[in-house]
Amino acid sequence: MKRILGVFLLLVALPLQAHNLVPGEKQTQPILLQGGTLHTVSQGTLANTDLLMIDGRIAAMGKNLDVPAGTQVLNVSGQHVYPGLVALDTTLGMIELEQARPTNDLREVGNVTPEVLAHHAFNADSDIIPTLRYMGITHAQVVPQGRLVNGRSSLMQLDGWHWADALEAGPVALHISWPRVGLNSAWWERRSPAEQRKANAKAYEQLVEVFETAHAYHEGRLAGTQQQVDQRWEAMRALFQGEMKLYVHANDRRQLEQAIEFNRAYGFDLTFVGARDSWMLAETLAAESIPVVYGHAYGLPSRVDEAYDTAFTAPAVLAAAGVEFAIAYPGYWDSRNLAFAAGHAVAFGLPYQDALRAITLTPARLMGVEDTLGSLEVGKHATVIVSAGDVLNQLTQNIGYMFIEGRALDLSNRQLQLYEKYKQRPDL
Amino acid sequence: MKRRSAWLGLSAVAAAGVSVLALADQTTPARGLHEKNPSFVALTNATVVTEPGKSLEHATLVVKDGIIQAINSNNRAPEGARVIDATGYTIYPGFIDPYSNYAVEQAGTPAPRSRGQRPQYSNAREGGNGSNAAIHAERNWFDTVKVQNRDAKGYIDLGFTAVQTARLDGIFRGRATTVSLADKRPNDVIYQAYARHFASFDKGSSKQQYPSSLMGSIALIRQTLSDAAWYKEAQGKQSMQGPVEFNAALDALARVQTEGFVFEASDEHNLLRAARVFSEFSVPLTVVGSGFEYTRLNEVKASGVDLILPLNFPAAPDMQGQFAELDVPLADLRHWERAPGNPAALANAGVRFAFTSHGLEKKSDFWANVRKAVEHGLSPTRALAALTTVPAEIAGVADQAGRLQTGYRADFVVSRGDLFADGEIVSVWLQGQESRLQEMHPASFAGDYSLTFAGQELTLTIENEGRMSGSLSQGDTRIRLQGVRTEDSVLYFHADLSSIGIAGVHRFRLQPESLTGFAGRAQNAASELITFTATRPEPPAADAPSKATAGSPEYVSELTWPNLGFGMRQQPEQANLHIRRATIWTADDQGILTDTDIIVRHGLIHRIGKNLSTPRGYQVIDAAGMHITPGFIDEHSHIAISQGVNEGTEPVTAEVRIGDVVNPDDIHIYRSLAGGTTVAHLLHGSANPIGGQGQAIKLRWGQDAEGLKFKEVPWTIKMALGENVKQSNWGDMNTIRYPQTRMGVAALIRDYFQSAREYGQAQEAYAALSRTERRRTAPPRTDYRMQTLLEILQGKRHTHVHSYVASEVLALMDVVEELGFRIHTFTHILEGYKVADEMRAHGANASTFADWWAFKFEAYDAVPQNACQLMEKGVLTSINSDSNDLQRRLNTEAAKSVRYCGMSEYEALKMITLYPAMQMEVEEHVGSITVGKHADFVLWNAPPLSAYAQVQQTWIEGRKYFDRQADLARRAEVANERQLLIEKVLSQGSEAKRGNRNGYRAEQPTWQCEDNHDVWRWTEFVEMEGAH
Repeated sequence: MKRILGVFLLLVALPLQAHNLVPGEKQTQPILLQGGTLHTVSQGTLANTDLLMIDGRIAAMGKNLDVPAGTQVLNVSGQHVYPGLVALDTTLGMIELEQARPTNDLREVGNVTPEVLAHHAFNADSDIIPTLRYMGITHAQVVPQGRLVNGRSSLMQLDGWHWADALEAGPVALHISWPRVGLNSAWWERRSPAEQRKANAKAYEQLVEVFETAHAYHEGRLAGTQQQVDQRWEAMRALFQGEMKLYVHANDRRQLEQAIEFNRAYGFDLTFVGARDSWMLAETLAAESIPVVYGHAYGLPSRVDEAYDTAFTAPAVLAAAGVEFAIAYPGYWDSRNLAFAAGHAVAFGLPYQDALRAITLTPARLMGVEDTLGSLEVGKHATVIVSAGDVLNQLTQNIGYMFIEGRALDLSNRQLQLYEKYKQRPDL
Repeated sequence: MKRRSAWLGLSAVAAAGVSVLALADQTTPARGLHEKNPSFVALTNATVVTEPGKSLEHATLVVKDGIIQAINSNNRAPEGARVIDATGYTIYPGFIDPYSNYAVEQAGTPAPRSRGQRPQYSNAREGGNGSNAAIHAERNWFDTVKVQNRDAKGYIDLGFTAVQTARLDGIFRGRATTVSLADKRPNDVIYQAYARHFASFDKGSSKQQYPSSLMGSIALIRQTLSDAAWYKEAQGKQSMQGPVEFNAALDALARVQTEGFVFEASDEHNLLRAARVFSEFSVPLTVVGSGFEYTRLNEVKASGVDLILPLNFPAAPDMQGQFAELDVPLADLRHWERAPGNPAALANAGVRFAFTSHGLEKKSDFWANVRKAVEHGLSPTRALAALTTVPAEIAGVADQAGRLQTGYRADFVVSRGDLFADGEIVSVWLQGQESRLQEMHPASFAGDYSLTFAGQELTLTIENEGRMSGSLSQGDTRIRLQGVRTEDSVLYFHADLSSIGIAGVHRFRLQPESLTGFAGRAQNAASELITFTATRPEPPAADAPSKATAGSPEYVSELTWPNLGFGMRQQPEQANLHIRRATIWTADDQGILTDTDIIVRHGLIHRIGKNLSTPRGYQVIDAAGMHITPGFIDEHSHIAISQGVNEGTEPVTAEVRIGDVVNPDDIHIYRSLAGGTTVAHLLHGSANPIGGQGQAIKLRWGQDAEGLKFKEVPWTIKMALGENVKQSNWGDMNTIRYPQTRMGVAALIRDYFQSAREYGQAQEAYAALSRTERRRTAPPRTDYRMQTLLEILQGKRHTHVHSYVASEVLALMDVVEELGFRIHTFTHILEGYKVADEMRAHGANASTFADWWAFKFEAYDAVPQNACQLMEKGVLTSINSDSNDLQRRLNTEAAKSVRYCGMSEYEALKMITLYPAMQMEVEEHVGSITVGKHADFVLWNAPPLSAYAQVQQTWIEGRKYFDRQADLARRAEVANERQLLIEKVLSQGSEAKRGNRNGYRAEQPTWQCEDNHDVWRWTEFVEMEGAH
């Protein structure tokens, strides 16, 4: 009991201290989450079940587990235990304030910057990060922005001293913003349809040329004929070696189709990001085993004649067709709404278990860390959250505990502290 | 023999037609000899259409000295007149284009302001001009008339003989002039020096910042028309601030109530907006339309304006590529199909209109489109009126042009056949002189000829089916002709005659001698000439010319309100309802009522109770298992606004009104209904300390702008503080407008309200004057900007203040308390939690975001517990969207206060229903399910704040505006209609490609608070990242 109290103190007392939170300490003794509802993701939901964490791993799950001596026991009966949520396609830690340029490290100069690594700009002390943890997110993919070939992303755990400490996996993928297709009809667009098509074709040609060049470079390096190192093409070699994924940011159906065609020649490990129209191609994506990081769970219809809930129902369509997909909430401060975005998809037809998987196990798989993250399984990292109620619903989500590899985290944040501060202001 | 003489007559006319300046000039001394060319001409035996619906057969039109001298119904020409046989021809009055830029100064196209240039806030003052560079009311465009032959030809080719013209630049464009297209001195071509005033909403070449938005343009028009009336009244009087200034622009507008305006509107909504603002001052209006009038026909008719219609029907959207239709809205496909029916729809509705060639990308499409309009149901008589009598009136020349009548100008069009069917214009007469477009009696060479050539009997066959071709044959030997063509009634070809025993290639010419006889000559390579004759039987008389009649088109598209995929086929009926056994979240003191009934009667909540019996004739909704909430109310919205949400130019623009620019076509109205929202408070943006007037709307999808307005809501205005108003994120060039600091913001607000108070005092002082003093004293000028601020001081208009940080909020409350009024509602108010006590003491409300932060420095201390803390401290708080996305899901936004700080669900619901209603001072009517209030409610399939809740139905005043089941059915219908139209486009081939390329509406952007670009100067569009 004392120990439980101890952990509570750890979790609750710290918020009253400086807002610059201290990362959690390495797990030194077993912790038992006792009697909660375990949402394992991989093996269904286990009511009234214990979960034991030892040395940063899930050591056991079951009813009335025997625990080693010295175990901290946390009674979580009536509460819900989930794997940590994984936010894909974010710019967390790369920007602090949108309109303060010094804080913005999103986009490098030029259309072709495969050489940049997002984690190099990741600020582990960003005040934004704890506000995502507060909402159950333990990991975030950080992604460089751009216009064509943007750079490489990594997966960060959200409890690091600095980026190297926070780096969970990476670089994971090369990110491409697929060239525009079709026509823009916004009021400020004054280019004729012909001019727009020409510009679209030119951008596509540039992309083709980039890949041809990178490929030739790679072959030249293998053959020893390319002596000098070009940072850009060097950065892309892992693609040709099958060691890095290709993440294509594309929304329009025609972009998706074009990218699939394009990739036939290369056979890269392709994933679509954003993928607004992916529901139109669900059968194809399932047949070709192309995963989707769906970024429009709350999206407005992109065309005036589309049904109001087109973007809301897309996850359900993808699930029904058997497409492997994650749900993302692209952004930085706003990515904290990830769980609610998944809940919204449930309101529009996505089975609950699929929604949960789309923000835990599938993103872990897409990041190549499914062996350690994404579900509650014995042997995986003890990266676990405990919520008073259903984590996907605003009305019930309330994260009481978060562990990353067994480290108990401080769930406080700048916002909570400001709130606490002004609650203490005496009435006028 | 008769036709023969016609040919001879024609060549004489051709010779005469070249002459210029045939009319004696009245004031210019002769240089050299006095030219006295004859001008007495009679066109005989024609069908003379004297005016729409009236024509004379076998009539003779006699013209002399540029005037119609007589129209004789017998077929005789007066002695001495040059006679032109017009047998078989139709003569129409010359056409008048009432909207052009012919022969006067052209509008300049200014280079856009570059990033290195500072904004320009005022205009050059010269000659007593107005205070805005888009006002050119003092210009009289006859001043700049110079005849432009090349431009004239473009009009004459279409049959026009006169145009009303002005420089098409700016908002008040000056006085147009109506001129003949004849090639004469300006003195002779100006038919009406002072025609209509021209105007538009587009500030054109003006580099002055104000106005940058549509509502700014409307406000400028309103102020200017008001000023003109004031200026007129003030003449000969002293103002209370000294002598009345001289103002040429206002002077020129002194008689607009009789002179009237021609107004160029880019769409039917702008037509209605223009009609409204000009009618406030009883100024008659003729509007240059857009072709979209049929989509709001009743409103257009009710506006009472005359129209000038461009005939720029659009080319079909491009459907060549696979899935190209993904970029094509159904609205465009519908418009492609129905735009040619617009004139017919207007005619049937009894709206008077003229045609103009203005706006056509290819002038040569003009007649094809007139005929298309006829095929789509326009009567040829109305079409002719639109080219003659109606534009003559609009252009102020109805007493001299637009019909064929003795004493009128000899301006007319000679056509072969009915112009509204398949006829063609052969000549256009301007002031009694012919401008020949085609030969009047072209020889037709098609047919079989017998000829004797070099002793041989040959048969010549000429065919003319688009391209001319032919052959010479003798028995079975047939020689194909090369190079067959005609020129000046002579046929030319060459042929190799070797196969009939005549050596070499011969070049032939053949010309008619009589109806059946032809004279020919051939030349061989040795230059030997062989003459011959040929005969051809008289060709059969041509078919009787087809007569145009109005067609009756069949459309596969629907017409809905608004005219897009999810538009309404009709307004929903107001139903009397018995809703049974629902869980009712009343949002008032009744709390949550389970298993309870509601009776809705005449659009109001009539009864609430358990087990109520169904009144006779009431529709029953079984709502067992369903939840009902009041419709959501959004205190801060920017949907349904046309052409600019900010008049962010001057620091105070209190005169602009969102109510002037409500856009009823915005699909976000429907999408928000689908999210349970029924009321939106449309606010001006946040680009200046005192922005524009707000407009509350009910989301009555399908209504026009006026029908959307929630009229019970008291007047409001947007104010703003902080980074936006001090232009912090606008780039380095925007550092000259006062204020640039929060200190300046407070000082500026203090200054304007002080001035408004003094403005009110001046009005009171004038009202207190004696009758004699008033006769000597000009009334105070109505200043809409100050008037609006005065309304705030008087408590008639409520302030909604965009605000973030504690310091600025305290400063504003400090300033306005000193001025003697209270801030009504702080909106955004992200640091409200820091100053909640002070806000409560001041009496202010708060309307905030659920969880937005970190998008700019002033949002860095935002917390998602803000609403809880404000409510805890007793500040009435609502959650707003400021976003067309969030407006669809205010429920889950409100639920975040449950998540972050434990607010009760019920209280959270009130933050998007009752409390925003109170903040708009309209809780008497909406905001809760309470007997006596409007029946604005939403049916849900789950507890309304849950992530899993889905709207099933949304009702406003007992009318069902959204029904999920109907929506699901509608999707299939939209898909089907799209498919039919796509097939129609693809099956039409090249005809679908003909027409204007940019003939569709541009998509209105998704406005946000900070969107502050000049809608008239799109090149300066700056996409400002990070909104709100």
